[in-house]
Amino acid sequence: MLGFTKGLKYTLKQLTKEKVTYNYPDEPLPLPDRFRGIQKFYPEKCIVCNQCMNICPTECINLTGKKHPDPTKKGKIIDTYDINFEICILCDLCTEVCPTEAIVMTNNFELASYSRDMLFKNLEWLDENDENVRQVNKP
Amino acid sequence: MIRTEEMLLNVGPQHPSTHGVFRLVVKIDGEIITEATPVIGYLHRGTEKLAENLQYTQIIPYTDRMDYLSAMTNNYVICHAVETMMGIQVPERADFLRVMAMELGRIASHLVAWGTYILDLGATSPFIYAFRDREMIINMLNELSGARLTFNYMRVGGVKWDAPEGWVDGVREFVPYLREQLKGYHNLVSGNEIFLDRVKGVGVYSKEDAINYSLSGPNLRSTGVKWDLRKDEPYSIYDRFDFNIVTRDEGDCLARYHVRLEEIEESLKILEQACEQFPAEGEIMAKVPKIIKAPKGEAFVRIESPRGEIGCYISSDGKKEPYRLKFRRPSFYNLQILPKLLVGENIANLIAILGAVDIVLGEVDG
Repeated sequence: MLGFTKGLKYTLKQLTKEKVTYNYPDEPLPLPDRFRGIQKFYPEKCIVCNQCMNICPTECINLTGKKHPDPTKKGKIIDTYDINFEICILCDLCTEVCPTEAIVMTNNFELASYSRDMLFKNLEWLDENDENVRQVNKP
Repeated sequence: MIRTEEMLLNVGPQHPSTHGVFRLVVKIDGEIITEATPVIGYLHRGTEKLAENLQYTQIIPYTDRMDYLSAMTNNYVICHAVETMMGIQVPERADFLRVMAMELGRIASHLVAWGTYILDLGATSPFIYAFRDREMIINMLNELSGARLTFNYMRVGGVKWDAPEGWVDGVREFVPYLREQLKGYHNLVSGNEIFLDRVKGVGVYSKEDAINYSLSGPNLRSTGVKWDLRKDEPYSIYDRFDFNIVTRDEGDCLARYHVRLEEIEESLKILEQACEQFPAEGEIMAKVPKIIKAPKGEAFVRIESPRGEIGCYISSDGKKEPYRLKFRRPSFYNLQILPKLLVGENIANLIAILGAVDIVLGEVDG
């Protein structure tokens, strides 16, 4: 019987301990700055180098560029930029290779939706996703 | 005389005590198991085949998803294999960060093993206590890597992030806290009479069986074989730390339970020493080419994961993708002894034996 009593004593002791649960979703979860949530995209910073598309292990990024509208300027600007969150694993490799930090992670992680199509996010959606953006992107 | 008929019973694939999608077809005569056939592959994602079309850096997130309870060791094994092939010397600070991350992962993994094992046997509250303490580790690793389970933290030649400010102090404070909690765990469960009745002398196998079945990790050490790659074939900077290999001689479920709990204590010792010796500054990445190409040839490395020996074999033809990649996944090998253990056992002991093997289905199926 000694084993039982010891265990019961431990359990009773826990009653006075502080609560460890979070009041989610009423209160947002405290997350570190490095947290890898849904990406924020800055179209004006993108130089269409295609590195994010090439490094993506699940091939969930699709992008196209177009000529710069100002004929005096060289290079391309971004035309379309889509991430398929059905297969994106939020591995952070796209933000790691981006030379201009045009794509960065945020602390937002709630992606649940009623249809699969809604997980297909385009340039405008990713541009508007501008809350809780990661502050320090490169180590 | 009562005549009984043999019956086929399907356990799983959706069954909470199989810890994933694992199916076990058992033939029972009354309450006694006469034959058990594990059916695996429900979580097979073809990691090894996928890796043949991926660059080495791209493979690292896939390894997170094999043994998802200790993803850091999986990260390490692939990086270690590529580093061995390329002859890269990892900076000291990166090595310390890797070891600390791996040991935290080991503790978190053993806490899940402990909590879920007791849950399988019918006690709910220890599981909650285990997860409470594991949550602290997960938060620490989240601060370090930016994810709670699928860390993708290590890179060929080092680690992605340096430790954030105050992180090492956080680990240092965590060590005495968990030591105190471990005493509570023993008070709560280790002496409990019902628990002892359920696990003592159940699922026994001998030293010879364990070696013949290629078991590793706590499953091997519970039979008295003193074999731990951190000591016997030191990799990274494990030779700098003073810790013991935990063994038990009984070879039953209770021995495996005690080996795991004591391994947590040994990991805490390593963490304590790592915090003391942590270099004040230094690089976290070695100089590696931007596109990693392993030289032509092959390499096999093995390290000690919480579940046993995890190995990584790379055959390269000098391109940026491996020609062939193979993981020796300890859960898969540890599972092979299960049909032998189950024959002749009571059906009620099935879950107790399966839980003590501590498999992760992501790793079994690859």
